[in-house]
Amino acid sequence: MKIRFLPTLLVAALLTTAIAPAATANDLTDVGYLDQTALASLPAFVSVNRQLAAYKAQLDRQFATAMRAARTPADRQRVAAQFQQQYSNEQRTLAGPAFMRAQLAIASVASSKNLSVVVDKRIIIYGGQDITQQVLHVLQSSQSILPLGTAPPPSEIGFVDQSALENSPQVKAASDQMAAFAEQQRRLYAAQFAHAASDAQKQQIAAAYTAAMTNKQNEVLKPLLDHVQDVTGQVARRKGLILIIDHADILYGGTDITTDVQNALSK
Amino acid sequence: MRSASKAAALIALCAAGASFAGCNRLDVNSPGIRGIAYVRVDSVMPHDPLYSQLSRIDDAIAMVGLQAAGPRVPHTAAEVAQEDARLRAEIAAAQQRTQRIVTQKQQDYGNRARAAIAKALAAAGVRGSNVAALMGQVSTQQSRAAQMQAGRDYMAYQQSVVQESNSTAGSLVRQLQSEANEKLQAKAMQEQQTETDLSLRLSQQDAARRLSIQTRLSMLALDDATRRQLQGQLNEINEQESAATSAQHATDQRDFAAYRAQVLAQTNAAIRAQLSQIQDETQAKLVGRRNAVGAQLRSLAPAPAASISPATQAQIRTIALQFQTQYQDDVQNVLAEFAETRDALIVEDAMLHGADATANGAASQETQILQQQRQALYQQIYGHIQSEAVRLAKEKGFNVVFSGFTAAAGGYDMTNDLIHDIESEHE
Repeated sequence: MKIRFLPTLLVAALLTTAIAPAATANDLTDVGYLDQTALASLPAFVSVNRQLAAYKAQLDRQFATAMRAARTPADRQRVAAQFQQQYSNEQRTLAGPAFMRAQLAIASVASSKNLSVVVDKRIIIYGGQDITQQVLHVLQSSQSILPLGTAPPPSEIGFVDQSALENSPQVKAASDQMAAFAEQQRRLYAAQFAHAASDAQKQQIAAAYTAAMTNKQNEVLKPLLDHVQDVTGQVARRKGLILIIDHADILYGGTDITTDVQNALSK
Repeated sequence: MRSASKAAALIALCAAGASFAGCNRLDVNSPGIRGIAYVRVDSVMPHDPLYSQLSRIDDAIAMVGLQAAGPRVPHTAAEVAQEDARLRAEIAAAQQRTQRIVTQKQQDYGNRARAAIAKALAAAGVRGSNVAALMGQVSTQQSRAAQMQAGRDYMAYQQSVVQESNSTAGSLVRQLQSEANEKLQAKAMQEQQTETDLSLRLSQQDAARRLSIQTRLSMLALDDATRRQLQGQLNEINEQESAATSAQHATDQRDFAAYRAQVLAQTNAAIRAQLSQIQDETQAKLVGRRNAVGAQLRSLAPAPAASISPATQAQIRTIALQFQTQYQDDVQNVLAEFAETRDALIVEDAMLHGADATANGAASQETQILQQQRQALYQQIYGHIQSEAVRLAKEKGFNVVFSGFTAAAGGYDMTNDLIHDIESEHE
């Protein structure tokens, strides 16, 4: 009897093996990732980071002075934006050549492995192909890295430039409203905090302050961000994409849908 | 026989089917998913047993922020800058005042020396020549020029020595403050770990009891009184755990406050001792230079004209030397007073910046420590979520799981599965 059941069981076993969860031809397997912190330990980046740290320390002092002098939330935002711009400019100047070489190395490795997209390691919790060591190897070689003649293959992983979306008038207005509220609440609760008689009372005040901020955030910013997320999802579906990530996390490839999302949001 | 065969086939097909899609399984290879999953980490976080600790750190950061925003912070940056400007102006004024006094004294002593020499010459019967001519005009002018130059050189030397000591003091204060900061951070991290360990230990210790109550609570045939009683027991476990972790936190906070006070007292004592040593060394350098300049100037005393008798010449030399010595001593005292005032102002300036670092900077230092604690704890929670996500991804057969994304149009949302897994781990 056992022998008679054997063929059926074998067929079932084969079926089980064949259909068990495993990457199929339709699966997205061309996703790579890179640990950018490993790149930061290379001498070229160490030197750039040291220079940037020195520049930032100097800028921080100026920033603190400028922020103290700023009277309104709008002033503070303007000062913050101005210093951020200054820092970004310096970062571009100092890190530009090293960054460009790293980009070429990533593209070269990604192309050799037929990857359609390479992202930052921080956003991958499981799977994907780790190309960190190969990129480090290319970067450490003394040879020049030639730019690829071809563009990355189309990818079903898309990206949006969040900072560009955050510059929309609606998001900016909501951020301004939030900043003004935060300033007002900070003053209000700081005054209460200064007169608190016990640690328990201080904790209560701090908890109330945090709750007030969270509620306002949910009221002012969350609906807007949810809307942006919905619209991004709709655009992604229209374009046959699976997942959309932030431009800052994309190191190679991916499908840019920033303009489409901006257009959809402006309708 | 036939029924046994059918049963075997059914079991086999069920096994195959289970692998494919049946038995509540998900098709991770479907066109909409394609082996991709994602996790909303921020939604999973609150379900981790360590999350309450993270919230407590957030509250502590808010408390520090409110404390710093309050009216008790002694110096704002503007106030420090204003105070800085006042101290610099005081130093410049003291320097000008000293120069004026030195010039005035130079004239006074010169006049007094000339009067004394004239008197001595008159007593010796020398007539018809002014003192300057008798003392040798050119020589006197050279001597004065040398004195003035020596004074200027000394002031420049003093300035450079004081600047150097100021810079040494500044870097020393920064180094000592940074060492203190490191000690405080290490202590904070150690306490954080104790609280984390306790939280996890309690959660695991009560897991069996909690699960038993949860299981009974999930039974439908349960009267209200029993349900209330069980719910009460569950609440009691939660409260006991919360009370134990809160007590540990309160103890840690007290320990940290005491340790912080001790470290700050040690640091301030070390700063004061080092500043005092630097000041002594600076003073010793300046005194050494003053003595050298004084000796050099005394050797430049003008020679009387050759027409005067040797005895009168000797008397005149003695008078000139006497006034020159008095002048040097007097000027040394004035310069010493200036150096003392200046050093005191520099120390005041250093202390002002030190006070700024401990008052204005205390909030940012504390926030920094809390942020580091938060980061370490966040990583620990994230690590836990990640290991669960990896287990789940392997079990379900996903190729890639993303933890950071802005929008999803496909793929599989693993968030709820993870929440369920993490909650059932501690229930």
